Amino acid sequence: MVATAATSSFFPVTSSPDSSDSKNKKLGSGSTNLGGIKPKPSASSGSLQVKANAQAPPKINGTTVVTSSVEGFKNEDGTGSPHPRTFINQLPDWSMLLAAITTIFLAAEKQWMMLDWKPRRPDMLIDPFGIGRIVQDGLVFRQNFSIRSYEIGADRTASIETLMNHLQETAINHCKSAGLLGEGFGATPEMCKKNLIWVVTRMQVVFDRYPTWGDVVQVDTWVSASGKNGMRRDWLVSDSKTGEVLTRASSVWVMMNKLTRRLSKIPEEVRGEIEPFFMNSDPVVAEDSRKLVKLDKSMAEHVRKGLTPRWSDLDVNQHVNNVKYIGWILESAPLPVLETHELSSMTLEYRRECGRECKLQSLTTVSDSSVGDLVNVGEIECQHLLQLEEGSEIVRGRTQWRPKYAKSFGNVGQIPAESA
Amino acid sequence: MLKFPYCNVTDLNQALAQCRFVGLLGPLASRRQSPRAVVSCSPSSSEFSLTPVQAVMSCQQQVGSSLVNRLRLGGLTEDGLSYKEKFIIRGFEVGINKIATIETIANLLQEVGSNHAQSVGFSTDGFGTTPTMRKLHLIWVTARMHIEVYKYPAWRDVIEIETWSQNEGRIGTRRDWILNEVATGEVIGRATSKWVMMNQDTRRMQKVSDDVKEEYLVFCPREPRLAFSEKNNKSLKRIAKLEDPVRYSKLGLKPRRADLDMNQHVNNVTYIGWVLESIPKEIIDTHELQAITLFYRRECQQYDVVDSLTGLELTEDSKTVSVGTNGSATATATTREDDHDCHRFLHLLRLSSDGREISRGRTEWRKKPTR
Repeated sequence: MVATAATSSFFPVTSSPDSSDSKNKKLGSGSTNLGGIKPKPSASSGSLQVKANAQAPPKINGTTVVTSSVEGFKNEDGTGSPHPRTFINQLPDWSMLLAAITTIFLAAEKQWMMLDWKPRRPDMLIDPFGIGRIVQDGLVFRQNFSIRSYEIGADRTASIETLMNHLQETAINHCKSAGLLGEGFGATPEMCKKNLIWVVTRMQVVFDRYPTWGDVVQVDTWVSASGKNGMRRDWLVSDSKTGEVLTRASSVWVMMNKLTRRLSKIPEEVRGEIEPFFMNSDPVVAEDSRKLVKLDKSMAEHVRKGLTPRWSDLDVNQHVNNVKYIGWILESAPLPVLETHELSSMTLEYRRECGRECKLQSLTTVSDSSVGDLVNVGEIECQHLLQLEEGSEIVRGRTQWRPKYAKSFGNVGQIPAESA
Repeated sequence: MLKFPYCNVTDLNQALAQCRFVGLLGPLASRRQSPRAVVSCSPSSSEFSLTPVQAVMSCQQQVGSSLVNRLRLGGLTEDGLSYKEKFIIRGFEVGINKIATIETIANLLQEVGSNHAQSVGFSTDGFGTTPTMRKLHLIWVTARMHIEVYKYPAWRDVIEIETWSQNEGRIGTRRDWILNEVATGEVIGRATSKWVMMNQDTRRMQKVSDDVKEEYLVFCPREPRLAFSEKNNKSLKRIAKLEDPVRYSKLGLKPRRADLDMNQHVNNVTYIGWVLESIPKEIIDTHELQAITLFYRRECQQYDVVDSLTGLELTEDSKTVSVGTNGSATATATTREDDHDCHRFLHLLRLSSDGREISRGRTEWRKKPTR
């Protein structure tokens, strides 16, 4: 499900959903504003608010609390008893004492925690809803996502769909915050004038480790040139807490005229809009130059027919969302593979898109192994084809799988330094 | 060692009330065994009940509090009896109408329920079970779900969901939610659900003793608090079982691996998607879901095949069901003006193989507002 654009929803864009977007156009620096949102500091008791209510002193020592409350009590009372209160002959009963200790401890600890986390992560205050913000000289967009309970799959790790959705979301938000979101279909303002749209042609993703429930992932994304007339968008996903790289992805986009459906060169005006945002860097995932083979039925060991989109698979234009294609491809992998292995990398080529009325079939071949032996094999590679039942190709792919719980020792990626 | 020069209990009352003890219990509780006590410090009560806190207070655990808890824009409310959290609607959570889908709403309700359970010290694995339940191999299963949405949030809208749970009858627990739009404060939706305990091994519902229930009931309001407090509200409405022949159907729905939850069952939200599958396109294009009620009868496993059936709901007032000759659905109660643009359907999900009922439901649709 995605609020995106014409041909494929891997687009870094969408038609702006509502008028609040017009307030958000900020080029480059700074964090994005939520136009329609007025933060109410006095609103509900979110965790940020609790400290205001705690009225607890920054000391563990209970005396400070007691003094103030006692004084308060005295004032209200009016009479006030000035005789000294000694500790020993005023011992409250033990359950009260325990409760009191807890209170004070909790209150103090709460304050302590608040003080503790503010300086360490100031960015969280700027970006409380995790919309993301531009970092690194205005070229990299960063957004955090916490993995929610319903985003966990049967393997107890975040589902591939969730991870792909994060990539897509950051791409859209990057374009939005950079002011590259024109009206309509996934295009900059100049592109819109010329009826041009971005179309994703290729996607490569490497999964080093899957996050689980409770993890917070940080997604960094940036764009670069790809050849003379293409654009490349890269993502680097890391664990917010440890910095460990979880996922690396690289995608290639070309420009197409949405009316003629023909590929187009990048016009000068558009170049002017987007080139300032290009980073000169190598792809975060080394390009897999092996050709993707087109499977046919005779080669395919596993065929799954009758795949039809559900309502929730469609984007705003009633086309099937790209992320869903990946889901179908993976669904069709042989069950022994799915049960004992996890996806370690995939390479996809997007050919066509389809809508609600399509009937698709998914073909899979396992390279170099026989299915029966899969449980004992280490790495497995599969070739995939997703096509309409009447023949047109939608997506071609290659996937690599490693046994679950095996660690990956791939290169640790880093955000490329800007090179002049 | 802390010193407490309290002079008497009343001073302690004051101190505790000011410190909002219960509200603070939340974030810590998740990092130790569930505490046995809750202090209710509601301003309305002049006295409060205290029970000894047995939890060990080890600060070492607290300092390393998880990043996700800090990022989470939610926490227990002041009286500790409900939980509120804010969410922003993300791009992949909206559907063909550019507004959040009902599945997104249902997922968020589930998330908030799970976070509530976590914040009061239940399991941290997302199942929301108490320690005793885990010992007895019990898990929660949904028996009934009713969601009403008055206004769907759009991409980038921030909504706040409040949730609480309460005892219901002998074996059930009810969880209620209220959704509101942060920007305007208006209530945009309400939901209520009923849960029962099921034994993981026997897959049968199981009654538990009051002590077991008490473990979580301490965190629930004792006074009944209902999201749907009006009498004869739709959440209580009986749903008739659809009989063949039905008006609309989509047969042969197969769970995808992505539909399975951590328990390897088809998760509840998938059922909602299946129910919608057999709604005709004319309705989906022009109307939006106003309310959905689902009764969950039987769980669905990965290899089950499901049929989704939809029929028009006959209302008490209408004498005949009017159906256009071109086969499109028209309002069932054309006699009533307020129902002119409202459609009501009954649903049935059943196993393709033997026709056993998995779930039955009811939906109401209103014309899409112009945006």
